[in-house]
Amino acid sequence: MTDPQPPSRLLGVDTGGTFTDLVLLDGSAVRTYKLPSTPDDPSRAVLEGVRHLLGEDQGLVFHGSTVATNALLEGKGAKVTLVTTAGFGDLLQIGRQNRAQLYALQPAGRTSLVPAERVVEVRERVLADGAVEVPLGEAEVERVVTAVKATGCESVALCLLHAYANPKHEAQLAQALLAAGCRVSASHRVLPEYREFERASTTAVNAAVSPVMSRYLERLQVGLGERPLRIMQSNGGAIMAGTAGSEAVRTILSGPAGGMVGAFAAARAAGLERIITFDMGGTSTDVGLCDGRIPLTSETVIADWPVKVPMIDIHTVGAGGGSIARLDAGGALRVGPESAGAAPGPVCYGRGDRVTVTDANLYLGRLRPDRFLGGRMPLAVDRCRQALEELATAAGLAPQRLAEGIIEVAEETMAGALRVVSVARGFDPRDFTLLPFGGAGGLHACALAEMLAMERILIPAHPGLLSAVGLVRADVIRDYSRSVLRPGNVAQMELAELFRPLEQQAVAEMGAEGIAGAALQLEPSLDMRYRGQSFEITVPMAGDFCRTFHQRYQGLYGYRDEQRDLEIVTLRLRAVGRGPRPDLQHGLCRASDLSPLVVEPLVVAGHERPCPVYQRSALPCGASFSGPALIVEETATHLITPGWLVRVDEGSNLLLEREGA
Amino acid sequence: MSSQRVDPIRLEVLKNRFASLTEEMGAVLMRTSFSPNIKERRDFSCALFDRDGEMVAQAAHIPVHLGSMPLSVAAALQRGDLAPGDMVLLNDPYRGGTHLPDITLVTPVFFDGEEQPAFFLANRAHHADVGGMSAGSLPLSNEIFQEGLRIPPVKIVRAGQLDSDLLALLLANVRTPVEREGDLNAQIAANRVGERRLREVVGRYRLAETERYCHALLDYGERMMQEVLAAIPDGCYAFEDLLDDDGAGSGPIPIRCELTVAGDAVTVDFSASAPQVQGCVNAVRAITLSAVFYVFRLLAPSGMPGSAGVMRPIAVRTRPGTVVDCSFPAAVAGGNVETSQRIVDVLLGALAQALPGRIPAASCGTMNNLTIGGCDPRSGQLFAYYETIAGGAGGGPSGAGASGLQTHMTNTLNTPVEALEHAYPLRVRRYSLRPGSGGAGRCSGGDGVVKELQLQSEARITLISDRRRQGPYGLAGGQPGRPGRNALLRNGECRELPGKCTVDGRAGDVLIIETPGGGGWGG
Repeated sequence: MTDPQPPSRLLGVDTGGTFTDLVLLDGSAVRTYKLPSTPDDPSRAVLEGVRHLLGEDQGLVFHGSTVATNALLEGKGAKVTLVTTAGFGDLLQIGRQNRAQLYALQPAGRTSLVPAERVVEVRERVLADGAVEVPLGEAEVERVVTAVKATGCESVALCLLHAYANPKHEAQLAQALLAAGCRVSASHRVLPEYREFERASTTAVNAAVSPVMSRYLERLQVGLGERPLRIMQSNGGAIMAGTAGSEAVRTILSGPAGGMVGAFAAARAAGLERIITFDMGGTSTDVGLCDGRIPLTSETVIADWPVKVPMIDIHTVGAGGGSIARLDAGGALRVGPESAGAAPGPVCYGRGDRVTVTDANLYLGRLRPDRFLGGRMPLAVDRCRQALEELATAAGLAPQRLAEGIIEVAEETMAGALRVVSVARGFDPRDFTLLPFGGAGGLHACALAEMLAMERILIPAHPGLLSAVGLVRADVIRDYSRSVLRPGNVAQMELAELFRPLEQQAVAEMGAEGIAGAALQLEPSLDMRYRGQSFEITVPMAGDFCRTFHQRYQGLYGYRDEQRDLEIVTLRLRAVGRGPRPDLQHGLCRASDLSPLVVEPLVVAGHERPCPVYQRSALPCGASFSGPALIVEETATHLITPGWLVRVDEGSNLLLEREGA
Repeated sequence: MSSQRVDPIRLEVLKNRFASLTEEMGAVLMRTSFSPNIKERRDFSCALFDRDGEMVAQAAHIPVHLGSMPLSVAAALQRGDLAPGDMVLLNDPYRGGTHLPDITLVTPVFFDGEEQPAFFLANRAHHADVGGMSAGSLPLSNEIFQEGLRIPPVKIVRAGQLDSDLLALLLANVRTPVEREGDLNAQIAANRVGERRLREVVGRYRLAETERYCHALLDYGERMMQEVLAAIPDGCYAFEDLLDDDGAGSGPIPIRCELTVAGDAVTVDFSASAPQVQGCVNAVRAITLSAVFYVFRLLAPSGMPGSAGVMRPIAVRTRPGTVVDCSFPAAVAGGNVETSQRIVDVLLGALAQALPGRIPAASCGTMNNLTIGGCDPRSGQLFAYYETIAGGAGGGPSGAGASGLQTHMTNTLNTPVEALEHAYPLRVRRYSLRPGSGGAGRCSGGDGVVKELQLQSEARITLISDRRRQGPYGLAGGQPGRPGRNALLRNGECRELPGKCTVDGRAGDVLIIETPGGGGWGG
């Protein structure tokens, strides 16, 4: 950082659907706060939390926001007009012409972000090699500006064919539209990569969410006064609020990105570089794999719309605590994807009447009815028991077996997600540590680790606040890309020349973020494939990158073909300014005796047996004990099954290892 | 079913495990293949079969492949000489295939030193060219010999070793051999991944238990389908619809179906359909099975397994020598892509009489197959471009039909304009919806699509499209969708083209394709 005096107080604020979580690092002291979110205007809860922890003090605020995502999913984005090459006005409507549901009597069509009456076609044409076939005239520019104004839009998405190869026409139009007072997202700025539908979709999403995000951030900044505000992007790096407002498409996965950064930071602090994260929520579970770094993807689809900017690679499956269990017509036990969500919620929350994974956990004694959310939320035990026993009768199973079965089916779905990010991508899960977080991750971690033959589990401190912890550890990151479609044996000189504009842009824009000189790291990479393929592998632009490609290809798909021509599709440049990297002293770890709160019956592996229940905050540093055991803390519960040994390390993490492994 | 009880939990676990295994095979195939048809348009399918060749699981890919893959496995099994490490390749429609571009690779999987394979993995992919009289291998043919290289079930891999002589023979007979070799590698890699995952499952559950649950999954699919069929009122329902022509001068070609529903079983009888024709729209029986399978899956709730058990309560009757069950050596290039769509329309038409409040009007009803082949002046290399173009979906009781969407037996993606212009000497002049083409009705049909392509060099264009004379039918008082249209613009003059044709194009020619809108529903 080049800040002359880095602020000593770092505050992470993560807005979730239900709660807003805050973590304050003040020197070596850590303070946390959790309060209900205010979905109609999330800034109210954020500012209240900030006041609670900071009072009138200064501090650097890092924020993970769901404003952009929610605007998109709830259809509350800005009114967008699409400007595109003549003949292609239905680009967003047709998309890739395929249907989402293969077997539907009446398949749903694509919902376009832009209705047909807000599309303006332009007479111009650029070709695949960047040559101009039909020039863009002054009169045409004027006509387009007038037509756009007539649509009464709040925001313009500009996407012309082959603008990644030659942005001249787009730049010309963008300038004229800006001069006319329009807010413009131009595809060659948002995502200069080939494939027009995906580029246009990403650009339109940016145009739809940027005005909403800008207004929100302005409001927030007024409330924060002098305190600088940084926003987490989906790529795991933070940027200044002003930039985040105009590039809001880059903040779509802001919250989950914070979780992944927090998880990886916790793992690193414990000396681990290879982890599989596992964040179990109410309706879904997010998993990700870090092999020495946080993985990125540019194949994300939000609702119906591809968003191709780099995002942390998180795989989501529809299995969570609220997933509903039922018996289908063929006699199989199905769990999810239908979820009881927060309302009505699981049966044991007192309002729902359909059995969920959470109810099965309660039935088996794995959740403590008196300790849920630190005892603030009593659970309806009898109601849950009755509902589960009714379903068991219908299934012809003993209730205990049904409860275990519900968990087994849900865990199979979650294990499937873990396989997708590991074995399906050429990684052996045995080389990784499982890192569960969220409230319920620790209940299923042992079973999942066993299903994937993993031998180590790390349960970090504050598993329920990990996203907020991740925010304060975020680097400043900006990602740049450009499709070039060049042969793999392109001359080094030419490659360097192609990278130059990206580097210039990075230096200028990171300078504006306060990152310059030695603090700025540039990491170039290449998206490569065998010529003729359609999917690329990203390799660092260092040394013999063709060789690296062949190796990675072999690792992923089990064969390689060194005779085949290679193609460099897209150049990528990641600009990084290292974040504050505060030392996290959680102060949870203390010297005392190991003694359970209570010993209670618990069903594990088909047998009910007495099992000690520990309060996590009372576990002494260096303590070690074997499962079965239940560990409870304010926002999470962890089940240690027989065969696992728990150790409390100096960072107050719980480190679990398979006994006899 | 064995006397041992089936655990509903394990049934669900293994159902999901088998399905994800086939999905993973598909991901490998898509990411490593070279044909635009496979990598961009996802015209491929993957499935798992038990030792009797019964399909246990399939990934949700292209419907037209799914009911027909079991016949590929049966053809491989019939060889009788399968050994560990073998892989069998085939595309012969008269021995387990459907049409020649669809090449299927079958891997037998052996366990515990058994002499017979306990499982089979198969994937089928649409290759961009397999030789024959026109680039892209979807010609207006009169017999199968013109359509390309016929591959009976042959061992392309023996005991883990690729047969390079056989491969050389295959590659010598296609226009784009480097691409073909890459695609075959991708198919091999996909089955290897599937085998690895299958061995993990058997390692955990043991062979006998895994097989017991394969049988349970077949029974499960049967029960699920019986539930669906029991909800259809008993009775006999008949319907007829037409293919425009066969591309060789005959037409229209009627396809007739008689549906008999009795309790939780049905019989679908196509015996009264037209005799096979000289042109290329003949379908082998496998395609008819796929289409029937597809239609009944539409009626099923989500989560229906892709197992062969689903087909048990459904009897399909066809008469050999007809356009829906053709005999050697009939030309079949278009049967898979065109006739399959009409079989769906006919069966849905019959079902609409039984379930008038549920069945939507007819959709586009043609895949609008476009093939362009020639020599790319930029590289001097031969090229073969193939694409299918979406149309309108039929309106129905739940609302208007969707516009510009792939319907029924296909779900292939388009090739992005920017990728297409980069890869081929072609320029796209227009790609838009076709306003007003959807049939009128209380719930109107979706609009078709207009695609205009300009040639940058001499090239041969082949079109196999239908619904050019008669639009997709409306239902419950709705109007039919507007028929499609093909035309060629040369030197400012526009010439109408027939639905099925081959044209020698010149540089500068603009091909115009307008696809049909869906039928309307409700008066």
